[in-house]
Order: sequence, then structure tokens, then C-alpha cells
Amino acid sequence: MSTAAPPAAAPAATPASRRRSLAGTLARRLRDTVVVLFLVLVVIFVIGHVVGDPVRSFASPDATDEQLAQLRSAMGLDRPFHEQFLGFLGDVARLDMGMSLWQQRPAMDAVTEVLANTVVLAVAGLIAAALFGVVGGVLAGSRPGTWVDRVVSTLSVISTSVANFWVGLLLIVVFAVYLRLVPTSGWYTWSSLLLPAVTLGFAHGGRICQVVRAVVLAEMTKPYVLAATSRGLPWRRLVANHALRNSGTTVVTTVGWEFARMFGGSIFPIEVVFAWPGLGPLMTTAAGRHDFPIVAAAVLVTGVLVIVVNAVVDLVGHLMDRRLGTGTAAEVPR
Amino acid sequence: MSTEPSTLDPQAVNDRASRVVTDNVFETLLVRDANAAITPHLATGYERVDDTTWTFDLRAGVTFSDGTPFDAEAAAASINRIVDPDYTTQRTSYTEGIEAASVVDADTISISTDGPDPVLPAQLTSIPMVPLAASSPDFGQALVVGTGPYVVSAWNRGRSIQLARNDAYWGPAPELAGFEVRVVPDSQTALSALQTGEVDLVFDLLPEQAALAPKVSIVEAADFSYIAFNTYAPELADPRVRVAMNLAVDKETLAETVYDGHAVPNAAQHLTPQMLGYNPAVQAFPYDPDRARTLLAEAGFANGFDIELHVPIGRYSKGEETADYVAGQLQAVGIRATVVKHDWNEYRDLGRVKGTEPDAFDLKYGWNSNEWFDAGRIASHITCGGSSSKICDPVVDEAVDEASQTFDEAARVAAYQRMWAELHANPYSIYLLQQQYIYGTSARLDWQPRPDDTFFVATMSLGATA
Repeated sequence: MSTAAPPAAAPAATPASRRRSLAGTLARRLRDTVVVLFLVLVVIFVIGHVVGDPVRSFASPDATDEQLAQLRSAMGLDRPFHEQFLGFLGDVARLDMGMSLWQQRPAMDAVTEVLANTVVLAVAGLIAAALFGVVGGVLAGSRPGTWVDRVVSTLSVISTSVANFWVGLLLIVVFAVYLRLVPTSGWYTWSSLLLPAVTLGFAHGGRICQVVRAVVLAEMTKPYVLAATSRGLPWRRLVANHALRNSGTTVVTTVGWEFARMFGGSIFPIEVVFAWPGLGPLMTTAAGRHDFPIVAAAVLVTGVLVIVVNAVVDLVGHLMDRRLGTGTAAEVPR
Repeated sequence: MSTEPSTLDPQAVNDRASRVVTDNVFETLLVRDANAAITPHLATGYERVDDTTWTFDLRAGVTFSDGTPFDAEAAAASINRIVDPDYTTQRTSYTEGIEAASVVDADTISISTDGPDPVLPAQLTSIPMVPLAASSPDFGQALVVGTGPYVVSAWNRGRSIQLARNDAYWGPAPELAGFEVRVVPDSQTALSALQTGEVDLVFDLLPEQAALAPKVSIVEAADFSYIAFNTYAPELADPRVRVAMNLAVDKETLAETVYDGHAVPNAAQHLTPQMLGYNPAVQAFPYDPDRARTLLAEAGFANGFDIELHVPIGRYSKGEETADYVAGQLQAVGIRATVVKHDWNEYRDLGRVKGTEPDAFDLKYGWNSNEWFDAGRIASHITCGGSSSKICDPVVDEAVDEASQTFDEAARVAAYQRMWAELHANPYSIYLLQQQYIYGTSARLDWQPRPDDTFFVATMSLGATA
């Protein structure tokens, strides 16, 4: 869904605009959140009420025009646009996204019931992605041009270019069907989590890997590294304590960005392939059955997740980067 | 299962995902045996009193799994519930003609129809009996209570539905103590789960997947694929054009290539030889593109014409591929057919547009499922006033009328045979294939699938792994 570019690499030179206090960051974040959330709601409302016709999807197919008009007024759909939108905002505030026609219960219930499953998979996928990305990126970035670098770089290119669900199917055939190490699909034992998490981790680890490699490589060619090496600092400590620490903010921002991108869409086809009982199968089935309330509720919830993850990443990045101030505005020169 | 049922109210829905559960939890007054003959089940016998009244004797001592008795009151309420016009159900085709049911005595009900209804017994094989508690809004969701050999023990939304043997079942106890219906949206994943033995049965394998399953069970389905004509369209009004289009399609090659041999051309009628009304004199149209071109020229379309062929996405196994194939074959005789793909709802709405209206379809691919095993099933597609009909032929109407007004089986067969002969000379569709259902099973599962697409787990058993 989101197609914006990944965040810029290392904050080598801190731009003046980012030199703000924590309180300032919080306030700015809150403002952005409200704006984005409002836009999400507008899109959901417009698609549901203007592009689609809730009456037509709710009424039985052989309803007469008269019955349709009656239903339209009973559902309040003959009121002015702004009144309807305010009513919709009120419903959203009460977390009422309407009744699901398919499941015949509140749409929000259907979504919240499986939300945790999606979050569990996303977190597991994030751990896998971070492992692949950070370990691979550090190995490749600190040994540029070696075979390790070539293998890791090739893997990361594959990760960012092939279709995730295809990787998933391939892993099922190899590890579940031929090697019989893990179950193919569903979530009946904890080992069911392995394959989808690895698929998700592979899909998102590639970009993390590329960013980490670039940052580590940039650090390792700086003069202080040469100086430290000449003073006899062991290479391993140099990488771990200096290069990696200095690129920490970038790594956290990239990992967080990938986490948000999972909820932005990539996790759902993987859930479908692995029959993971999360939002993906729920949304695709609901869409197939023209059950707009569930789709709308799911879009709203994933929208909120993306916003929250982005905000948290921003805050963590702020706290980690000492150049951005550690807490009070007074410490930071303007 | 590729999708989760919306409700387990057996009277409301008729899709496979729900029937695999409800067929085992609920029962009907009559059922078809393994040879498709209609036999008593919850009813022990039935009798036609006059042209529009039937009585059914009910089995004594049957209870629902909540302990309430299955008696005349529950049976009559079940039928009245499903025929109520305010009740939304996908099973309307099974209730057509049924007026109401009433209690005669504790073990007898009487059913009245709005005219002679020779297919009533067949209809009753598809009307599940529900308890009086079915009037609760929870019925089909939290409350699933039937008389069948299994009960729902857990419904884990989005994952699976678990069923356990009903120990109070009136009939012979089924061999399997329970089973689980899992939701696996992706067909490739489902096949993998079958290969590893995580599941024992997968519905609707694609023809190319059949060779990869440990074992397959194939059944000649009572499903007949066709491409309906709108005979009101100017290009299609002349029967010669429609015969030409039947001749233009090589059905053998379609069955061999697209379906990998898992289908056979049907004899230009939506019946198998065993079904009531089959006309042995009517044969499938041969593949004869030269004759097709000649007929088109005779009808004044020597240069062909442009036409659209509508097909739903993801509804019928290989439906889109078949539509592409047929369009290619029509192009070969000069008919420039383009395939238009729709999602299911759009496609269904399209089918309801009357043929004379401007936005009616010209050609539409579909499957006709004949789970009545009776030619009468097709009536709504071919009579002048039929709800899905795009043809009006007095010979057909007269034959359908005659067949539906009599209980004399020989007279019905003769009338339907006349109907098929007329529909051969004046085709309402391009007749394509009789489809097969391909079930993938584990090596240990012993099960004979049925052509009427019912799933009685009580007829399954597990042998030793081969």
C-alpha cells in the first residue's frame, strides 16, 4: 500500500529542522497522527458511501426501488454528505464499523479477534528480518568485496525483488513437504510460526541488510577507524562498539519502517499462503464476499497500526540519537 | 476448505464450505442412496394424497442434539421456515412450488404444493430439518443443533471447525470419532498439507494437481458447463448461428487439454444417461468448423460479428481458461469473441438481466448443476418466463409444462426428450462438458464421493497408511 522510499541513511549531518526537543517531537507526531488518521477515515468513508452503494449491498437483490428508497432513509443515507460523515466519525469513535453481512456480527469484533494473530506473526517476522538484515549487513559491510559480501548482497537483492508469497510456497514445499520439519500451514502448534515468520523476515530483511551494509561500510572507511586500527583496537570490537553503535539510529529507523510496511500490506498475502488465521485471510474473504464493514474495519485498524509504529520508531530514533537531545529543550542549542 | 462458512444454519446457505459441516450435523426427510435413488431417512415413508398434498411419516424416537424431540411440530416448522418468503436462503430452488407444511399427528406431517410437484421428493433431499430453537438469532452461529451423526464441538473462527460423534444419534454410529474442517485459502498450500498428511481430504483439486496428491477420488459430477446465448441479441437470433457456434468448439480437446482429461463432453443436454429425461437420440455436436462457417454464411454472417463472452473469476474450476479457449475457437470461424471477466456478484447480477434489456449479456459461461437428477432442474433457464432464461421457444415451453403437470414418469420422460431434441435444433447454449470433482485424499482415507456433492463423513473410514 505504502510506496514511499525508505528513510535516508545515516544522519551524518543532522539537519537543523530535526534539532527539536522530545516534547516538540511528540507534539509534531501527534499532529501528524491526527491528520493521517483523518485522511484514512475520509478514504474509507468515501469509498464506502460514494463509490459503493451500501443500500444495494445490504438489500436483497430483488428489492424494488421503493424498498430501496425506504431502506435508504432508514439507514440515514438520504441526509446531506457532511451529516453522514459526522455520523460516521461518531460510529468510528465508538469503534462501531457496522455489522458484517458475512459473519453477522459487528465487523470490529471479527477484526479484533484475529488482530493479535497478525501482530504475533509480524513481531516474529520482524525478529527474523532484523537478524537477517543486521547480521548480514554487518558481515557484508565490514568485509566489502569478499565472498561473504557477495552472498549476502545477492540474497538481499533476491529478497527485495521476488514475490513474497512465492518464497512462502517454495519454503512449504522444501521444509514441510520434503524435509517434514515443520507443518505446512495453519496455526496448530508453535512450530507453525516458523515458516511464515522466515518468509516475512526474508521479504523485509533484504532492505534492512542493504541499508546496514551501506552504513557500516561508510563508518568503516572513516578516518577514526584507521586511527583506531593503527592503535591496535581489535577489529571485532571496532565493528561492535563503534561502527554499529554509530549507525544504530539508522538501523532502528529502517527496521521500524519495515515493521510498518508489513501492516501496510506485505504480511497479508503471506498469511493467506500459510493459512495463518490473521487479518489477511479475513480481509480477502470479506472482499470476495463484498462485506465492506469488515474491510473498512481492517483498513482502519491497519492504518492505526502503521501510524503507531511510525510514531514509536520516530521517538526511539529521537531518544537514541544524542545529537537530537536527550530530554529537555534547554540542552539543545537552537 | 478454501473459505470459512458464513453461518452453519443449513437452511440459509448452500455453499460447499458450510455443507461439509452441515451435511453431517443436520439431516433431511429423504436422502439419495449411493446409487442416487431417493430413500427414506428422517421420514420412514411418504404418500401422495392428491395432486397437491403429500404426507410424510416421521421416524420415531429421534432427538436433536440438545435433547428436544424431532417430531411433527419440528418437521413442519422446518419446512415452513425455509419456504417463508421473508427468510433469506440460497436454497430457493429447492423450495419452489412448496406452499406449507402442517402437523397431522405426532409422527406425521402433510406438505401442500401450489400445483402438481413431481420433484417434491428430490427437493426434500435438500431441505434440512432444524429444531424449533432455529428461530433464535444465534442459530447457525453459537447455536448449531441438528439430528445428525456429528455435533459441532468447536468453531475457531478463521482456523477450523471441529466436530465430534453424536453419541445420542438414532442411526448406526459413524466410524470416525470426529473430524476437523480447516480453512486453507491457498490451493497449493492445501495440496502440500495433504502431501504431508496434515489433512486427509482436500476439495476441488485443480486438474494439474491431481497427479501430485497421494490418492485422488474422482466423481462424475452432476455439473454441466455451457455458454448461454442471449437469443434476443440480433446476431444470435438465428438458430443456425447458434448451431454453428456449437460446431465451432472442439470439446474433446478442451477436456483433454484444459481439464487434463478430468471432464467429458456432454451429449448436448445437461443430464447423464441415468437421469430422468435423457434423450439417447441427441448427441454432442461434432467439431466441424467448416460446416460452422457455411451455416454462418447462410445466416448472413459470412464476415462474422463482434461479441462478448462473460465469465466469473475464480468460481468454476478452469472457467476463465475455458472461456479463453472457446473465444479462440469462435475466432477461428470468424466470430470475434472477446472474454469479459467479472467478480461473482457482478456476474450473478448480469444473469438476472432480461434478454430483451439493452445491458443483457450475449454469451455467458456457467455450470448447471443438476442435483435433482431430473431434466426439470433446467426449466428456469429455458422457458419463456424462466428467471434466468434468454430464450423463448413454444415447443420447449409446452414440453416443460406437460412434464411438470404430471406424475406419470413415462410421460415426463417423453416430454423432456422432446424438449432436448428441440434445444438441439434451437440451442439455448453451447453445450460443453460434464465436469468431474477431483478430491485429493490421503492414502489412508477410504471414501466414495457422491455425484450430488454431499459429504457424509459417516461413510468415511481410515485404513492403514498404504
